[in-house]
Amino acid sequence: MLNIFFGDYPGENYIDDPDLYFDNTYEDEWLEDERAKKMVREVDRSELMGPNLVISPVLGSIPVTRLSGGVKALIQIDHDPEHVYNASACGDNCSRWLLRIGQDKDVLVRLGHIMHFCDVDPLNIRIDNTGEVVHSQEELLRRVIMDGLLDNGEKG
Amino acid sequence: MTGKYEVVLYNNKLHYELTIKRNITILRGDSASGKSEFVRLLSAYSSNPSSSGITLKCDKRCLVLTEGNWSLFTEAYNDSIFFIDEGNGFLRTKEFANAVKSADNYFVIISREKLSLLPYSIDEIYGLKEGKGAGKYRNPKRVYNEMYRIFGKLPYPIKLPDLIVTEDSDSGNEFFSILFPDKCISSYGKSNIKRILAAHPDQAVIAVVDGAAFGPEMQECMDMVSYSGGRLNIFAPESFEYLILESGIIEVPKAIMEETWEYADSAKYFSWEEFYTGYLLDTTRNSVRQYSKAKLPEFYETAGNIEKIRNILPECMRGL
Repeated sequence: MLNIFFGDYPGENYIDDPDLYFDNTYEDEWLEDERAKKMVREVDRSELMGPNLVISPVLGSIPVTRLSGGVKALIQIDHDPEHVYNASACGDNCSRWLLRIGQDKDVLVRLGHIMHFCDVDPLNIRIDNTGEVVHSQEELLRRVIMDGLLDNGEKG
Repeated sequence: MTGKYEVVLYNNKLHYELTIKRNITILRGDSASGKSEFVRLLSAYSSNPSSSGITLKCDKRCLVLTEGNWSLFTEAYNDSIFFIDEGNGFLRTKEFANAVKSADNYFVIISREKLSLLPYSIDEIYGLKEGKGAGKYRNPKRVYNEMYRIFGKLPYPIKLPDLIVTEDSDSGNEFFSILFPDKCISSYGKSNIKRILAAHPDQAVIAVVDGAAFGPEMQECMDMVSYSGGRLNIFAPESFEYLILESGIIEVPKAIMEETWEYADSAKYFSWEEFYTGYLLDTTRNSVRQYSKAKLPEFYETAGNIEKIRNILPECMRGL
């Protein structure tokens, strides 16, 4: 199931910048995975040829370090269970893939905004802050608002 | 810093055009829409402008802020436009908010986070999209990226409201309480607006907010509005003081209202809300029109002046 922590995640295994973290820690085998290729095709509209090459219709041949921050976050969430990633690096066009990953395994991500999962019905998301499971975008929104889960997300 | 600036940045494959006119501009939207690529291009340009193969056109210095340089750069530079990519944790700190507050610089922030400590305008939240302008450049293969406003013109409900909620508890609330006796409450702060909207699913509720600084709360509120079937809505003028200035009660040069970016100095005003309040206080001081934000002065409660403000409100907000 997809578990979401809203606000500032307190754990030491939290990665705030999945884009930068990916560039320095990715494993080649992550990029040979069929789901990674589909995510790159759908979100970045590019072809992931393997660990060393992406073909972008705009940028041409590029290294995997120039994939979008959203798709890098998705690949890490899918392959690295040791860390909690900041899914606010993902746009709404990544939301379907987050749910698909959550259908296959238990994953925990952090959000600092309301992601729109509107085109998937019913939802099955556990809010990690409260333990509550929500089944629609509206229910998710109401719980985040009424529990003030994004009201204390500032540091320092 | 004041003014409105075009930022044009391009290489042989990508072309960006942004217009920046307030101290804080937010860029968000889908992944892979080119936001981070803009910052990457600007960083490459900054490291070696003449040999980068990248062209930057802007009347102001454009720099990229990172975790390592933001504190130094915000102290060392003025009259500059700073660009910040997502993933920088300092964006959510009080230290950064304080640096923005008194900065003689503009900030363009790529982030989907709320950033509650920064009073950005609902009108300065943009996405990037592939534009139609590609054809006007010599290289037809270049992808042309332009800004689009995420929160467009707000719709108004047809029916009259059962409840008006103002984010303020002072002058603005007093004014709308005159128009809507027994129907107007205060949320005592902008972060409570969304909870009041969520708690009244069966009533027609309009929230009156200061659009110039309501950006951090806008997404949750507009999502709530979208689930209300037209019962909930948001009326978001720049601020209540903006309404007074716009109403004609006080003579205000047209440029102040229409080209506010030329007057609202970022080093002095954290948001245009503060600018309009400051302008109203300054221009009415020691006169019969003297304004107070804490309590609506009698001058503004006269039938004639109330009517002047009513006349510039949308139909459903006129009350009485």
